[in-house]
Amino acid sequence: MVKKINLDMSTVENREMRLGTIIGWDGKASQLIEESDYEGRSEKKQGHGCGGGKGGNCRLCELKSPLNQQTMCANAIVECQIGNTEDCILIQHAPIGCSADNPWFNLAFHNGLVRRKKKLQNLKIMSTNLSEKDMVFGASDKLKRTIREAKERYNPKAIFVSMACATAIIGEDIDSIAEEMEAEVGVPVVPLHCEGFRSKHWSTGFDISQHGVARQIVKRNPEKIQKDLINIVALWGTDYFTQLLAPLGLRVNYMIDCANYNEMHQASEAVATTTFCHTLGSYLATALEQHFGVPQIDAPQPYGLAGTDAWLRAIAKVVGKEKETEEYIESEHKRIAPKVAELREFYKGVKGFIMTGSAYAHGLLSVLRELGIEVQGSIVFHHDPVYDGAGKHQDSLKEFVDNYGDIEHYSVSKTQAYQLPQVFRRVKTDFVVIRHQGLAPEAAKMGIPALAMGDEHIPVGYEGIIRTGEMLKGILARKKFNQVLNRHVESPYSKWWKQQDDPFLLAKHPEILDTVIK
Amino acid sequence: MAKEIRQIAIYGKGGIGKSTTTQNLTAGLAEAGKNVMVVGCDPKADSTRLLLGGLAQRTVLDTLREEGEDLELDKILKVGFKGTRCVESGGPEPGVGCAGRGIITSIGYLERLGAYTEDLDYVFYDVLGDVVCGGFAMPIREGKAKEIYIVASGEMMALYAANNISKGIARYAKQGGVRLGGIICNSRNVDRELDLLKAFSAELGTQLIHFVPRDNIVQRAEIRKKTVIDFDPESAQAEVYRQLADAIEHNTQFVIPKPMTQERLEEILVEYGLFD
Repeated sequence: MVKKINLDMSTVENREMRLGTIIGWDGKASQLIEESDYEGRSEKKQGHGCGGGKGGNCRLCELKSPLNQQTMCANAIVECQIGNTEDCILIQHAPIGCSADNPWFNLAFHNGLVRRKKKLQNLKIMSTNLSEKDMVFGASDKLKRTIREAKERYNPKAIFVSMACATAIIGEDIDSIAEEMEAEVGVPVVPLHCEGFRSKHWSTGFDISQHGVARQIVKRNPEKIQKDLINIVALWGTDYFTQLLAPLGLRVNYMIDCANYNEMHQASEAVATTTFCHTLGSYLATALEQHFGVPQIDAPQPYGLAGTDAWLRAIAKVVGKEKETEEYIESEHKRIAPKVAELREFYKGVKGFIMTGSAYAHGLLSVLRELGIEVQGSIVFHHDPVYDGAGKHQDSLKEFVDNYGDIEHYSVSKTQAYQLPQVFRRVKTDFVVIRHQGLAPEAAKMGIPALAMGDEHIPVGYEGIIRTGEMLKGILARKKFNQVLNRHVESPYSKWWKQQDDPFLLAKHPEILDTVIK
Repeated sequence: MAKEIRQIAIYGKGGIGKSTTTQNLTAGLAEAGKNVMVVGCDPKADSTRLLLGGLAQRTVLDTLREEGEDLELDKILKVGFKGTRCVESGGPEPGVGCAGRGIITSIGYLERLGAYTEDLDYVFYDVLGDVVCGGFAMPIREGKAKEIYIVASGEMMALYAANNISKGIARYAKQGGVRLGGIICNSRNVDRELDLLKAFSAELGTQLIHFVPRDNIVQRAEIRKKTVIDFDPESAQAEVYRQLADAIEHNTQFVIPKPMTQERLEEILVEYGLFD
């Protein structure tokens, strides 16, 4: 294990400190695997990383850009994780601007509830709506009043309190208030230290949300084990995991989005924890393993044939259903083979590109290559050289490259729209799949058919290969539309910038700005 | 056109005597017929005690907290010695909120309430000793105070603080037009203090505008909640403060300081024999 997760503390160590996460890198995927030294990091060897063997804990080299186009922070992630539960309340202890994302996350919540066939409802997030006076005098009383109000209005099963930049700077003591109010309102009150300036990447917000859940919601010392229950750390995706795991006799317990209190509470009774994306799920899976004895599945992610096979086998081992699983794998291979062959035929000569979160990209890329789609380049929004679980079989980037080959232009870059002219000049692609709002229209305006992918479970499992293949047909059909769009849209970037070839020019030569900007 | 109010901020290491010096020199200016307002920018709210004859003052922030935003100027502005107008910004309870932001808030309220009247000749901001965050730099940062005086002594840490404050002034000078008017020495009777302070000031590119010798009369006046000019107008120390007031009134030397390195600061200290 990289580090033991400390649930005594209410705070989470940043991802960049804990895992060595980076947000800027450019090169071949195989080179990033080498520099990441997953194995060395997971064994806490000295001298890992690009400095290789020089002693000390070398950090992964990172391109640091003087220009950053920001889209999210840890506070926003808590908003869309904890704020998207069914019967708990999130209180944002913040000025109201920190809640500006609520309408967007309400949409994500609606979609998720519909996909999971749950009762439709709006997200329930309250804000302490801090004003200047609150900043000067502190806003503890206001927070207490809001907690009482939340209890009275919604009678939630738990109340979470999230910190913002403003409240963190003035040192609001949300831990003491949470403790005091928990006794008064009689439900867990969970402090979440997710101020936006805390971490350079939003994914720390996943860890903070999961930390709060593991610390105060998950049942301690459960009396029973639900032998057919498996935790899946997920977002808002359609419930394809039930179908995938049914032959193993397993019921799925999704965490955290769209879950209710009882579902999160029972996580310690599950037989195992796994996820559709190690970037998202590794922290909670590790916390459940270390503190509640629920093993996490040490396997590649369930994408493509090889990944799904290995993932199912690892789960089968935990639940003792190896034989049934082998039969299932065999029948599934047979079942999808004709359709996959047909899709591979369709995608002959087609090139693809993806821009998504880190480990999820490795899964989606597996599926593209499984479909015979050529991938010359891709962007991930950050890179974790190791995950909290540090499982031997969880090195998802290596798993991808070993199974499907290298990627020439593999970039780590956090939703930097300004780099797209260079990115799409050096690689050829017929479409792009994007997981974050904002970037997809940018690519679309450049004439590239783009999918802002909402349902992240589409590529999961055997059927996921077919689902993805079918979905992309629809995207390719937009080619003409995008070309027309491109002719009518003017890029906001300067002529000089559009003439440059290297998307990371500013990071490599920041001094160039002195001559360009007068 | 209305004359411009001279807005002056007094900085310096905590405990160096900023409040004492500010009140004594403003007493000197008031005695000379100037209209002066003193704004205490320290959560301890003890910057106007000598002018008011006690801590009877309600702070801007206390009033704001207890009575809401419909403040009236006469609730927070009290008139003290020879017509000096006294305001204390105050602060939140210790350990909560943000005292620095409180200063920004208070000065904003004073402006809205019309405390900065045209008849004023001077506004003095007496700022908390160590500038702990951006809020305490507010009087200079937002261009309220254009003139700064740093109170220092021959003690190492006082000079160290003065040098640090100069760094802040140099930073804000580029955008806000703030200038250093000089160093005021509030003597601690250390060796060769006058020479040291002169050398230190020269190195910073400024002047030692006045040397205030140590005199127990200051302590006696403070116990009686008075400035020296009020307590014993005939005393030599009262005259010292009148001279300081006069030096500030006629000061023309306003500079962007050139803060020195820690090594250079220590060299100056060694040069003037402090470490003998």
